[in-house]
Amino acid sequence: MNYPPALEEIVAFFEGLSDGEKRENLIAYADGAPHCAPKEGEAFDLEDTRKDQECTDTVGVFLRVDPVSRATHFRINLGPQVQTLTRAMTAILCKGLDGVSPEAVLEVPQDFVPKIVGGQLVRLRSQTVYYILTRMKGAAKAWLNRERAAAGVR
Amino acid sequence: MNPKFSSYAHPEVLVDGAWLQEHLDDPGLRVVESNEDVLLYDTGHIPGAVHIDWRGDLQDNTERDYVSPGGFAEVASRNGITPDTTVVFYGDKSNWWATYALWAFRLFGHTKVRLLDGGSAKWKAEGRPLTREKPGYPRTVYPVPAKRLDDEIRAFYPDALEHSKKHRPLVDVRSPGEYRGEITHMADYPQEGVLRGGHVPGARNVPWKVAANDDGTLKTFDELKKIYTENLGLKPDDDIIAYCRIGERSSHTWFVLSYLLGYKRVRNYDGSWTEWGNTVRSPIAKGEAAG
Repeated sequence: MNYPPALEEIVAFFEGLSDGEKRENLIAYADGAPHCAPKEGEAFDLEDTRKDQECTDTVGVFLRVDPVSRATHFRINLGPQVQTLTRAMTAILCKGLDGVSPEAVLEVPQDFVPKIVGGQLVRLRSQTVYYILTRMKGAAKAWLNRERAAAGVR
Repeated sequence: MNPKFSSYAHPEVLVDGAWLQEHLDDPGLRVVESNEDVLLYDTGHIPGAVHIDWRGDLQDNTERDYVSPGGFAEVASRNGITPDTTVVFYGDKSNWWATYALWAFRLFGHTKVRLLDGGSAKWKAEGRPLTREKPGYPRTVYPVPAKRLDDEIRAFYPDALEHSKKHRPLVDVRSPGEYRGEITHMADYPQEGVLRGGHVPGARNVPWKVAANDDGTLKTFDELKKIYTENLGLKPDDDIIAYCRIGERSSHTWFVLSYLLGYKRVRNYDGSWTEWGNTVRSPIAKGEAAG
């Protein structure tokens, strides 16, 4: 399965790293997660902030879709209790999926996660690394439903 | 010593941030961070602290067991620990995994163990130093322990079953919703492979959280005594088994009962609900009543 090009590049980069190097780079991405938060003055087509059972803290997903190119731009706000691996995955997904269509977001398979994280860090209790992608897909789906509804009205 | 500690049955087992910061360079002391967040140590830890991972370092994940005595000796040796080293544990989630690691060290007979009251959250809240620099300690030779003390502080399914049948003290430290069988995972967490909800018949529900303050520090001796001795009715000579879902929250309660209240016979059933709830024909009680 092919991933969107930017995500493909990140996956390829991580696949060539040792476990120790993966950790270092995941920390670097986690450090960058605050930059994924919405910025002053930005407007969004869809905003969804909530605390779900399967994540340790509140996560806000903000989506803007370019009306002409249909390119998606995600911003994600993470509560302070969100775990480091989930923070890293947030930064990776914001970068890796930036500019792809809502349909392409829905098609991203989850199998890139262990390729990036590596066997050492994949464990049952860290399944929230998949949570951010699920939320992004949910936002993309909601946007598409809204688009279809609008087209039907016309 | 922190005045709060002096009332505990074993006051020497707890340290606070001020004490630890003052003793970080003590040669006979090793600080061990153990977390649920698999990358938290890398984002910043107490200077000189080593990281011991509950799964990667302490468990044999093929057999769902702990490492062998030889495996433990290897973990200790590569972290510069000898049997004479005082090991101070701390971590996230109000020290769940720190107490789990401490319990595992006790399984192998390591007696010089301490816990940082409040764990990493309190240390950070107090503005104490953190570093990303990973220390390197000269390798030691930790003698392979003669055996693992499974009989003393660890309970297995048959032990819990016997306790249930004989109405001996079983403490279910999970959340009330898990105990009642309404949910099979704790709030904020994914499902960890449990097929049925409920509790071990006869077990009383005292969530681990009641022993901790909001900042992760442990409650005072008097507060703990009221919870476990007066309200739950545990007696000094009771043979007590604590369980949760995979043994980490019950490590916290095991620590409280053993070290802070001084109960002499307390075992952690690490198989916990993921074993009991999935075992064919194991009896289950649902609802508020112990059953």
